[in-house]
Formats: sequence, C-alpha cells, structure tokens
Amino acid sequence: MNDQPKNKISRKGLTVWRLYGMIETFVLTLLVGGVAALTYFFGWPVWLYAVYAGALLLFAFLLIYLFPKIRWQRWRYEVREQEIELQYGLFIVTRTLVPMVRVQHVDTEQGPILRRYDLAEISISTAATTHTIPALITSEADELRGMISALARVAEDDV
Amino acid sequence: MSDMRYKLHPVSAFINFMKSLKELIIPFIVIFGVNIFRDGGVGAMFSQGWTGLLPLLIGLVVVLFSLVVGIIKWKRFVYWFEDGELRIEYGLFIKKKRYIPFERIQSLNYTEGIFHRPLNLVKVRVETAGSGKAGEAEAELTAIKRVDADRIETEIENAKHRAIPVMGPLEVQHEQVDENAVPEKKELKTLYRMSMKELLILATTSGGIGVVISAVAVFLSQFSDLIPYETIYEEVILFLRFGYLIVALAVFAGLLIAWIISVILTLLANYQFTIQVDKDHIYITRGLLEKKKVSVPFKRIQGVKVSRNPLRELFGYGVVTVESAGGSMGGKDEKIRLFPLVKNDRMLPVLEELFPEMEFQPELVKAPKRSVHFYYRLDFLWMLPLIGVLSYYFFPYGLLSLLIVPPVIAIGVWQHRTTGYALIGRQLTMEFRGFSKHTFYVWKKRVQAVNVLQTYFQRRRDLASIEATIKSGMLGYSARINYMEKEDASRILDWYHPAPVTAKQKGQPE
Repeated sequence: MNDQPKNKISRKGLTVWRLYGMIETFVLTLLVGGVAALTYFFGWPVWLYAVYAGALLLFAFLLIYLFPKIRWQRWRYEVREQEIELQYGLFIVTRTLVPMVRVQHVDTEQGPILRRYDLAEISISTAATTHTIPALITSEADELRGMISALARVAEDDV
Repeated sequence: MSDMRYKLHPVSAFINFMKSLKELIIPFIVIFGVNIFRDGGVGAMFSQGWTGLLPLLIGLVVVLFSLVVGIIKWKRFVYWFEDGELRIEYGLFIKKKRYIPFERIQSLNYTEGIFHRPLNLVKVRVETAGSGKAGEAEAELTAIKRVDADRIETEIENAKHRAIPVMGPLEVQHEQVDENAVPEKKELKTLYRMSMKELLILATTSGGIGVVISAVAVFLSQFSDLIPYETIYEEVILFLRFGYLIVALAVFAGLLIAWIISVILTLLANYQFTIQVDKDHIYITRGLLEKKKVSVPFKRIQGVKVSRNPLRELFGYGVVTVESAGGSMGGKDEKIRLFPLVKNDRMLPVLEELFPEMEFQPELVKAPKRSVHFYYRLDFLWMLPLIGVLSYYFFPYGLLSLLIVPPVIAIGVWQHRTTGYALIGRQLTMEFRGFSKHTFYVWKKRVQAVNVLQTYFQRRRDLASIEATIKSGMLGYSARINYMEKEDASRILDWYHPAPVTAKQKGQPE
C-alpha cells in the first residue's frame, strides 16, 4: 500500500487547474465586489473592506496556488494488465482499485480549455462506478483508452 | 409456430380506466374544493345555471374520455411470440411495437390486484437487464389469465433451452424432441413462510408511521392555498382554551391513528410472505389484497445485506435485503427485501440454503482501539459552534445544550465497536453502523471497485477507511467501514487484486 501508482498526470494539467482557479477567483471577486458595493451604499464600517480583501487574497492563494499544487502532486495512476489503480484527493487521499474484468467502457473527453492545452480526460466506467483521470496529453489518453479497452476484452473472470 | 396473437383480458380496460381516474382525483378535488369554499358552497354551482355547472360537465367529459381511452388501449394491445421474441404492439394514437428477445428477459413479476383476484388474473411485468439506458425494453401486461402467464413462462423456458446448445441442425432436432419434457413446471421449494407472530412484530415496529405522517403533511401542504386558515385559526384558538391536555390527547390520537394505519398497510402488504426457490430463481410472494410475486435470478444477485435497528437488534431480529443488478426502471424494486423481519436463528438456515458458498457468521476483524475518537471527533465541528451560540444567547438554559455531547460520543463509540470486516476465501464481509447495524456480504467477483480513503490525520495514525462498491439496480451501492488499521486496508486491497494471469488463460484469448 505504500508504493504509489507510478504515473503522474501531465504537468500541463497543473496549468489548467491554475486557470480554473483563476476563473473561480474571478467569480469570487465579482461577488466580493457586490458585497463591497453594498458596504459602500449602506455605510457599513470601513474595516470590512480589509476583511474582504484579505479573504479574497486567501482564496486566490488557495485556489490558484496551493490546491492545484497538492492535487497535482497527489494524482497518480497506473494501468496494469489486470487492474487500474488510481490515487487522488486534496484532503482525503483516495486509492481506487478497478480490476480490468469489471471495466465496461472507456471514454475520452476534451473541453475547450483542455483542447487548447492538447489535453484530454479519460473516464473508465464499470457497471456501478465511473473513474476519471483528468488531464492527460491527448495522444497519451487515446493510447491509454485503446490499451484499456484491449486489456478489458482479454481479461478473464478469475472467479 | 406460435403466431397466434393474444389479447389482454377485457378487465384491463377497466383497470386502465381506474388508473387514470386515480390520477384525476387531485385535480377534481381542486376544482370542487375551490367551489365549496366560494360563497354558497356546492349548492351554488347548481343554482347558477349553465356556467356554474361547467366544471362538472368538464369533469364528466374527462371521465368519459378516460373510459374510452382505457377501452381503446385494451383493444389495441396485442402480444405474441415470434422468432424467439416476445412481441408487443400497443399505442393509443401512435402504434408502438416492442420486441423483447427471450434471452434478455430477466424475470417475470406477477402482481394480483383486487380486480385481478376474483377473475384469476395476473398483471405481468417483464423485466430486462436494461443495460443502463432508461426506457429500454420493459413491458407490462395489465391483466392476463393465469394460464396465459404460465404459457409465456414456458415459451421463454423453451426458447432458452433451444438457444443454449447452438451446435448444428442435428442438435436442434434433438432438442425439439425434448421440448415437451422441459416445460413441465419446475419444482418449487418453499424455504420460508412468515409466521403471524413475525408479521405482527414487523407491522408494529416498522418505521411506516413516519411515512404516513409525512404523507399527510405533504397532502396538507399541497392544499395550503385552498384551506381557509383564518377560519381554522379561530377555531384552533377556541380549541386551545380547552387546555393543553386536550391538545396533547388530540396529537396522541392523531399519532395513534397514523400508527394503526401503517400497521394495517404493512400487514396487507406482507401477508403470507413466502420465499420459494427453484434452480436459478428466488421467488418472493406476499400481499393480501394485492398479491405480489417477485422473482430474482441468482445470477443477478450482487450482495446480501442484513440490517438491524437498535430495537430489533436487542431482540435478535433483522431485515435482509438482496442487492440485485438491473431489473426495473422504477428504482424501488432494486433492493429486494428477502426477509422483511426475521429472527436470527430462523434467518441463518435459509440464507445458508440460498447461498451455500457464503459464510454468514465469520469472525470479524474489528477497528483498532486507537481509532475510537475518530468516530466522534468530527462531530465537534458542528457541536461546538452550536453549543457556543446557544450558551451565549440563552445564557443559563443554553448550557443545557452541552447535554448533546455524551450521546454523540456514545454513538461514536458504539459505531467504533460495531465496525469490522472479514475476508474468507472470495467473500468479503463488512459490518458497520450508522444508527442501525448493517452487515454486508459480497463476493469478490461482484465488487466493482475498492476505494481506500485516508485523511491527513488518519495517515498520521496509520488508519484508513475502506469502501467497496457493487452494482445495485441501475446504480451502485457502496459499503464503507471507517478508520480501520492501514494494514487491514492493504489486506483488502491485496485480496481484491486480480489473480495473476496463469499460462493457461493466456493460451486461449477470448
């Protein structure tokens, strides 16, 4: 259990997550701006502005710098002949084991931002669960998809 | 060979009609309810001539319309067997055809409603695996004769037997000779019949009361706009003058009535609860007014769960549910209650007979001692602010809120004591508690994925939570045991790792 799965996701994934963080921060800025405007119109105490600014900076730090970094460092995956192993999580680290026999189908998906960075995410579905590996280089993701679906077809039920 | 087209029994026209009437009840209540509270009440509707009667006329037309629709639906509905498929043609305005290959049919579920019983009819639901897409072939035959239902069953059985050995024309010939022997009714073995005592205990201890109360609440909230609250309010004030005793009595009487209703409903639904088995199905029959028969193929069973709420645990009773894959779209039949309520010593022999390869009382590995505070530590996150706020604002009495701490800790300790797992061969057993105790039995081949979760704090203390997901109905069900030894998590992961590929398997791909 101490040996982690060996593959990391693409370094560009970190960039994309930072970008997501910036978008979230931007939305947050709008909200805070709204509250600040209320503060101005209703003449609430001035020190509140400092609180708003502080909170905004803190969230920007967390969402753009810290969280993506931890998540990226934590994310590991490994596709073996008989099984797929994943490790991820920000506060709670989750290790997932999916046997090849259980894999029903594999999808790759690419949104506009991911496409710009030539990335794709790959979703592995079993009868009951779906597991997503975010941010793989597109060619790598395609290759992995082919590999998993080939392995899943060959894998035999051992029970 | 059997191109004969079958119709449903004429009574299905009537059943269709009743069904649409049931859906019409609420709009009707609204229409007439509004009129009652208008000045003059219902009587005014008749004295106003034409326009006053309009709602009534519309209502009449709608009822007539639904009657005609019911009849047409019945007229249009035909089913027949062709090319190893059950074919159904139906539709009011648009003709729809649905062809279901026999191999796809998982089970036939029978329901006998009050309209079915006197005529010896059944409602048949054809259940298919439904491969994840909603609206996939699934059919319902509103009312057919018992013998017709049996005929469908034998047709399917025949088709399956014919389909299995696809060797060559000779073989097929041979099979067809056999055909007459196969349809003989399979031997059904009755494993369990619920006794009256158990039924009564079930009815009186089930949580159905809450359901009834909430149903009443929902019903009232639906009509809150229509009820003249001011009038009622005045009456309530008057009522209150009689004193709290009467109010309390009224509340108690209300609860009692709700409870009695729920007891009766449970009695009716579970009357003569019987479990029967044949080679590859479990059949569950129950119900007094509406007799239901559900069949569960052994192949589809993913796991078994025994739940005991504290009261029932104390007296050694439990509820057994079977998680089955696929099946109905409705979503409520996925968890099949194998035993609605049963005493442990009666349950075990039956379970052992049903699942001989499973061990139902394994030795459990318990959660480690040092993890106990994890079970209630997180609760302080919401308790402390709550207690703080209450104590601050309602100073002397707010401190009473401290009283919630001991029970919360007690439940945490209790959960810790219950948590455990066992690995025996290919079977995983997990025991855990929310408030009720759940014991979950599953085979390795039915587990879809295993998760091991660790927070920062758990990692520091070498603890981990383990979660196993199986398929249940269209979705998944996850059983989780919290804060186990990290070693235990490793052991479960190792157990779950697929066996290394042997040379023999590699030799024969596909």
